[in-house]
Amino acid sequence: MDHVLTWMTFLPLLGAAVVLCLPSRRPGLIKRVALLSTLPTFALGVRLFAAFDRATTAYQYVDRTPWIASYAIDYFVGVDGVSITMVLLTALLCPLCVLASFGIDKGVKGYFALFLMLETGMLGVFVALDFFLFYVFWEVMLLPMYFLIGVWGGPRREYAAIKFFLYTFAGSVLMLVAMLVLYFGAAPHTFAIPELAGRGAVFDPRTQQLLWLALFVAFAIKIPAFPFHTWLPDAHVEAPTAISVILAGVLLKMGTYGLLRINYGILPAATLDLAFWSLAALGTFNIVYGALCALAQTDLKKLVAYSSISHMGYVMLGMAAFTPQGINGAVLQMFNHGTITALLFLLVGVIYDRAHHREIAGFGGLAGVMPVYTGVAALAFFAAMGLPGLSAFISEVLVLLGAWQRHPGLTIVAASAIVLTAGYLLWTLQRVWLGRLDERYAALPDVDARELATLLPLAAIVLALGVYPHAVLDLIGASLGHLNELVRAGAAAGVAPR
Amino acid sequence: MEQLLLPAIDWLAVLPVGLTSILGLVLLALGLFVDDDETLGWITLIGLAVTAVATACLAGQKSITFNGTFALDAYALFFDLLFLVAGIVVVLMSMTYLEGTGIPSGDYYGLLAFAIAGMIVMASATDLIVVFLGLEIMSISVYVLAGAWRTQLRSNEAAMKYFLLGAFATGFLLYGIALVYGATGAFRLDRIATAVGDTPNRTMLIAGVAMLIIAFGFKVAAVPFHMWTPDVYEGAPTTVTALMAVAVKAAGFAAFVRVFLHGFGGLHADWSMLLWVIAALTMTVGNVLALAQRNVKRMLAYSSIAHAGYILVALVASGAAGGTAALFYLLVYSFMTLGAFGVVAALGSVGEPNETLDDYAGIGFRRPLLGVTMTIFMLSLTGIPPLAGFAGKFYVFTAAIREGYYVLAVIGVLNSAISSAYYVRVLIAMYLTPGAEEHGRVARQPYLLTSIVVSAVMTVVVGVFPALWMQLARFGFLSL
Amino acid sequence: MPGVPLQHVLLVGLVLFALGLYTVLTRRNAIGILMGIELLLNAANVNYVAFARYSGAPTDGQIFAIFVVMLAAAEAAVGLAIVLGIYRNFESIDVDATHALRH
Repeated sequence: MDHVLTWMTFLPLLGAAVVLCLPSRRPGLIKRVALLSTLPTFALGVRLFAAFDRATTAYQYVDRTPWIASYAIDYFVGVDGVSITMVLLTALLCPLCVLASFGIDKGVKGYFALFLMLETGMLGVFVALDFFLFYVFWEVMLLPMYFLIGVWGGPRREYAAIKFFLYTFAGSVLMLVAMLVLYFGAAPHTFAIPELAGRGAVFDPRTQQLLWLALFVAFAIKIPAFPFHTWLPDAHVEAPTAISVILAGVLLKMGTYGLLRINYGILPAATLDLAFWSLAALGTFNIVYGALCALAQTDLKKLVAYSSISHMGYVMLGMAAFTPQGINGAVLQMFNHGTITALLFLLVGVIYDRAHHREIAGFGGLAGVMPVYTGVAALAFFAAMGLPGLSAFISEVLVLLGAWQRHPGLTIVAASAIVLTAGYLLWTLQRVWLGRLDERYAALPDVDARELATLLPLAAIVLALGVYPHAVLDLIGASLGHLNELVRAGAAAGVAPR
Repeated sequence: MEQLLLPAIDWLAVLPVGLTSILGLVLLALGLFVDDDETLGWITLIGLAVTAVATACLAGQKSITFNGTFALDAYALFFDLLFLVAGIVVVLMSMTYLEGTGIPSGDYYGLLAFAIAGMIVMASATDLIVVFLGLEIMSISVYVLAGAWRTQLRSNEAAMKYFLLGAFATGFLLYGIALVYGATGAFRLDRIATAVGDTPNRTMLIAGVAMLIIAFGFKVAAVPFHMWTPDVYEGAPTTVTALMAVAVKAAGFAAFVRVFLHGFGGLHADWSMLLWVIAALTMTVGNVLALAQRNVKRMLAYSSIAHAGYILVALVASGAAGGTAALFYLLVYSFMTLGAFGVVAALGSVGEPNETLDDYAGIGFRRPLLGVTMTIFMLSLTGIPPLAGFAGKFYVFTAAIREGYYVLAVIGVLNSAISSAYYVRVLIAMYLTPGAEEHGRVARQPYLLTSIVVSAVMTVVVGVFPALWMQLARFGFLSL
Repeated sequence: MPGVPLQHVLLVGLVLFALGLYTVLTRRNAIGILMGIELLLNAANVNYVAFARYSGAPTDGQIFAIFVVMLAAAEAAVGLAIVLGIYRNFESIDVDATHALRH
């Protein structure tokens, strides 16, 4: 499998080029071609999943060629356990999202071309092992996302799109400066992330912390961590369904992925110094804050958006534990949140397509008319709640177990917040699906085959990972153990580990 | 009476400027007999293309002629080709734009050729007298070009403002050169470079250098010498604006970089502080004022001020990295700015400039090609990878950080963030604002669209594969 | 002229330059500004000739002065033509009266 990651990353871009060449008066053809261009990436992803060597901590499927020689910038891609998990998540969600977008009828060509560009950008971020390349892909994602929200979004799309753009761009500007300072920090100048590992040690502690914070803000905007989260509810509410799925399923993970890959790997000492306030405490605050906000929402989509903020808080808390359980739980939670939130947004999309509104108070008793829909919805809500037997249970328990050993006080707060989570989810379940059926919705059709095809794969994964979490844990274990050691060793010694 | 001896002359060195001057003369003469604007345009195109090829064939040559005042080196060739290519793109734009404006093609193209000849002289000048000559040849041609659309009031006004302030700047240039001459006893850059170290008249020298900074500041539109820019750029015919924003500015920098990094290299510690302030001001004022603009052409004028600031950052950083970054940035900036003005020209028509953001509403769907290319230019100007503008900014800020100008780099990067707000507003107008449904046939604009597409392709290509272009800029700078 | 020290000549140049600067900055009449600019150019010219006279390389400065005179003439010709064009369209050569463009 030569250059498999390169193929995976750029095949969707090729698809985008093909889509652009198709005549715009044949939307059906465009949609099918778009779906077809996401499938090879998914197939390669499955193959990668099977062939991935779970024992080694080294980067695999590495592809490296010089790109800009005078600055030692390489086209350098590869995966370890963390990134392959994210790559798989992306490769899985994209075909489902294309399928979920078949209802788009305005500017079909542009929509799917941009979507495929977005997929290339996302995969690129996860496979890039050169900081410069990482940054390029990070920015490449920005534009398609901006247009997908801004052109195909809801009534306040313009505002949401600009807010998304400005927040992310401001963050990446900080990343650029930190990146350059790291580059010039020591000889030989390099952007290669593996070679930068522990490079932070050449700076004095104060500079390290400043660098760490600059990078942290860039990533925290994506997570999104309070107080950088305000773009998220707007973006989610206005974005079309499939884009919400991508936003919550993949883009938010880039924040925590970036923290693990860049902040943890390159600046271990500062990570240990600052993790308590900026990750553990802030993460716990996110959990409680997101849950409380979710309780107050009347819009179903906004509720799911705030639940995302809450759930990403667990990832931050787990990362800050520096114990194997905590960090493994955090990455598992990233994957699980990706599937469960995707499922939730798809479900919201289904009902929105039928009722053309998302007011929780406007529904009721849907269980009677849409039994299959209700079944999937119940599964998704219970999974989000962290019910045993479903995927999020394992990851949240791991996070809490891991965090307990280091931050017991915060862990108690985070664990108590589960009551809030259960509260808003059950309450919503009751208001929308149970109770008296509104006359207007007596004749709503149940989910059709296409919608079911988008929902079932995700539901199956949620079930499967609830029973057998090792499918993911085995992938990430070795790499995360290594990273965790690196942070602790790097911080203890105060020098770059070789 | 002394015997005047004519120095030996390397005629090859003056080939580019000679060919463009001849082209200008031919065009002026032909303009009297040939009525067909398109034919004249083609003649100009072919003439500039031939000159460009001839210039490219000189690659590798290195000589200094006219008694050490005029150089043929990679630096000059880099800029010559930049001017010629920018000229070709502007001619392509003009071939569509001039229709119906009543601007006489022969004069217009002739002056364009003379302006380019002046720029080439500036890029090759290794003597302050020759810098002045080149600057005047270029400026006088461009003064006239700015006012070429004689029936338009705003073209008239642009010409007058540009002329008055340009001439004013010339006064500073001359007085500055005089002081430098007084302090060092030389006009030739190499002699100045050796003399700056131990001149007895240091105060006079520094005053002269400061005056030169003011003069060049006017030419490249640096704050606080930028006041003329918005009015002139907005009022001049859009094709001339493109020429001013790109080629004239590049020529200004060609001389600026050569004079300061070569001639006054030994005084870097003195002038870099002043330039530091000017660079920071230029970036910030340009970007902040651009935020308030509703007219796209005027907004691009402020944007071009801001970009001059980025180039000044490279100049402050100095050294091989800074010099290379300045050259590379000018290359990158040229294509994206030419393209953006091309789109502005394409959307306007005689009597209807269509330059405000309201006029851009829905353009992305009404004219998809212009929408996509303008998106590329705006994003590139913002500095979004993998477009050329990002590569340019990357090299500039890298150079600044390498030389320890952290604060300046941070100011520059923050300015990029500010600039995204107004560039994105164009995208919002084009794609997110519902526009009037127009069913009228759009005029055919084959030449103009070609120029836009060429600029867009170059913006993408240079952005994705910057290494080769960077190498060219490097050769250019190192040949100084 | 050996009796006159260099400083005095430079002072004349400086006074001319200051007068020119003052004229350019205070006049609102285009022709007036043009005259101020001419003063600036000639202030520089006085300096060139003076430096040429008192420093080692006598010819350079004088040659430059001739160049300046020549180009100032060209510039004035173009400038007057532009001002004439303005007058035709605006019926005024007051730089504040011409406001087709936003200030």
